[in-house]
Amino acid sequence: MKVDMRLQGKRLVYRFEDWLAAVRRIDRTQIVIIIGLTLLSAFMLLPLVYLFNHAFKPLHELLLFPPTFIVNEPTMQNFTDLMALTQTTFIPVSRYIFNSVIVTVLATAGMVFTGSLCAYPLSKHKFPGGNWFFGAIMVSLLFATEVISIPRYVVVQSLGIMNTYLGHVLPMIALPVGVFLLKQFMDQVPNELLEAAKIDGASEVKIFLRIVLPLVTPAMATITIIAFQTAWGNAETSTLFMQDDAMKTLPFYMGTLTSNLANSVARQGAAAAGALIMFLPSLIIFLIYQRKFIATMAHSGIK
Amino acid sequence: MAKILFNHVYKRYGKYKEVAVNDFNLQVEDGEFLVFVGPSGCGKSTTLRMLAGLEDISGGEIYIGDTVVNDFSPKDRDISMVFQNYALYPNLSVYENIAFGLRLRKLPKHEIDLSVKRAARVLEIENFLERKPRELSGGQRQRVALGRAIVRKPQAFLYDEPLSNLDARLRVQMRSEIISLHKKMGVTSIYVTHDQVEAMTMGDRVVVMNKGVILQVDTPERLYNRPNNIFVANFIGNPPMNFIPGKLQEGSGGLEFHTNRFALLLTKQHAGQLRKQNLIDKTVILGIRPEHISFEENEIGGNPQSLISGVLEFGEFVGSDRYYHLKIGMESLLIARAHPKYHFNDGMKVTAAIDMEKALFYHKETENLLTD
Ligand SMILES: Nc1ncnc2c1ncn2[C@@H]1O[C@H](COP(=O)(O)OP(=O)(O)OP(=O)(O)O)[C@@H](O)[C@H]1O
Ligand SMILES: [Mg+2]
Repeated sequence: MKVDMRLQGKRLVYRFEDWLAAVRRIDRTQIVIIIGLTLLSAFMLLPLVYLFNHAFKPLHELLLFPPTFIVNEPTMQNFTDLMALTQTTFIPVSRYIFNSVIVTVLATAGMVFTGSLCAYPLSKHKFPGGNWFFGAIMVSLLFATEVISIPRYVVVQSLGIMNTYLGHVLPMIALPVGVFLLKQFMDQVPNELLEAAKIDGASEVKIFLRIVLPLVTPAMATITIIAFQTAWGNAETSTLFMQDDAMKTLPFYMGTLTSNLANSVARQGAAAAGALIMFLPSLIIFLIYQRKFIATMAHSGIK
Repeated sequence: MAKILFNHVYKRYGKYKEVAVNDFNLQVEDGEFLVFVGPSGCGKSTTLRMLAGLEDISGGEIYIGDTVVNDFSPKDRDISMVFQNYALYPNLSVYENIAFGLRLRKLPKHEIDLSVKRAARVLEIENFLERKPRELSGGQRQRVALGRAIVRKPQAFLYDEPLSNLDARLRVQMRSEIISLHKKMGVTSIYVTHDQVEAMTMGDRVVVMNKGVILQVDTPERLYNRPNNIFVANFIGNPPMNFIPGKLQEGSGGLEFHTNRFALLLTKQHAGQLRKQNLIDKTVILGIRPEHISFEENEIGGNPQSLISGVLEFGEFVGSDRYYHLKIGMESLLIARAHPKYHFNDGMKVTAAIDMEKALFYHKETENLLTD
């Protein structure tokens, strides 16, 4: 254990030295670029800063004109308002959050699972009509959601899954972008790797799980983010397929907060708090997976 | 360990059923190190991949041991294969790369550990076991790929140009390491290469292929000294064999080989064989290796009917030898090997002696060997 600690320490030191060396190598153009990019990213951060501060502003600050960026007197009032608000209706906001979490987890897992299972044979197994199949998936990217909402409604209704979680999840589960992205990545995985694994005695399932998937983690991370955002922000399935209020999700509720009800000024605070709640999970998911964005490893074992 | 048998094996690719491997018949002996060699696209990899189970077999049977394996999946054939580009799993450490096949076979942990460590010791990669493949040099990667192949103790090893990504020096070193590994383990091995030097130095026997057909299967010595046809003769050996077309005519001293410029007297043995085949007054092709042409005084004095005079075009010094390219009035230059102590200047008139005992005669159309 002791030796391990020392080793870890040494590694840290080495890492720091590497970093220092990298810093020393920076030349003048790079400095300009770094400063430029830093300014740009600070600018990009502004909406986020605004969103965070907004959620904690008391009502009089919320309605200030011109609006301020930074909150003066931070308060939790908006969040308690949001909770209190819904107690006057039948469904507490916690129910919407709960629904959203369930639906998002199921749908994200479903999208990633079916996406990767669909991309693998399209990429690595030649079968009759494979290209045609892939073409069809690509074409489905072109349709706007409005175009397919009526056929979707018919399908969901005939399946008898209105007002169930499945009714939320199933319409979202096919993610053509994900299939496309994963297939492109899997195309990069050299066939020899799969052949080596076959000769080593791996079944298709093992090859898929232990060789192919680990090599496309950047793509997996990316489509996890895309899938998460699609599912978490989706109000459509609530609007169309859920007549039962208890089955609706947070995005749907957020929409009603400011638009439907008469007294929308008073709800500004609750809406700001809700916006933050809507936003936070996306941020967290992104932070978890963004490292994978950068890591590309599919090629590294092959000369 | 097992014999491997190819029985009239065919491979046809694609819509137009182009034949990539044509009536391939071969028996690989138990424990043999066999090399497939041939120019690019001649079907070496295809044959190997059919044996490995990575390509379907269009016709014929392949046996491993006494079993027809045509319909076996790769994992049921109990073979291992080393690929040209190593094909290491980039996401796994060196240790896990080597252990992969054993883990899939559900061996007990301590046994896996023992086998991996032993293979690593043999290949001297013990210090890299925790690294990822991308953190290794080409040579080290190839060792890992070898390690992955040997831990499983399979029926046969298949190598598809495993050394062609390495630099020349490392290639020579790995060559001898693979051979000593083979000597130690004695597992039947098939090794594919397009490099004739590799083929000649490594193989117990060598299979020369061209356009999907086996041209000759022989020991390196016989392949070099007695190539069955012009293609093999040309492919094996560097610089290649000289080929001179000419007519066979009876002369005063015996059968002679005539060109427009000179005549050479055949040995009694060759003459007899060629007469039997009714080739008198027919055109044949004489093949002679550069080292069987000499400038030695005593040989030149020996037999005037084995001499060719020519003009020296240029010489190449390669250290232990010197190669002289002579203009003898033919389309191609005659290449002769000489001891470096002979030094001729370009443009000089020289006389070279052909060792007619070593001459080979080929049929003009079939390009097959006519003499023994
Ligand atoms: N998947 C394929 N589809 C169609 N034709 C193929 C396929 N693979 C190989 N061929 C053809 O089969 C022939 C033999 O190819 P093969 O790969 O066995 O050659 P090779 O001897 O290994 O050559 P190299 O030394 O370049 O590796 C070639 O003409 C090639 O074009
Ligand atoms: Mg090949």
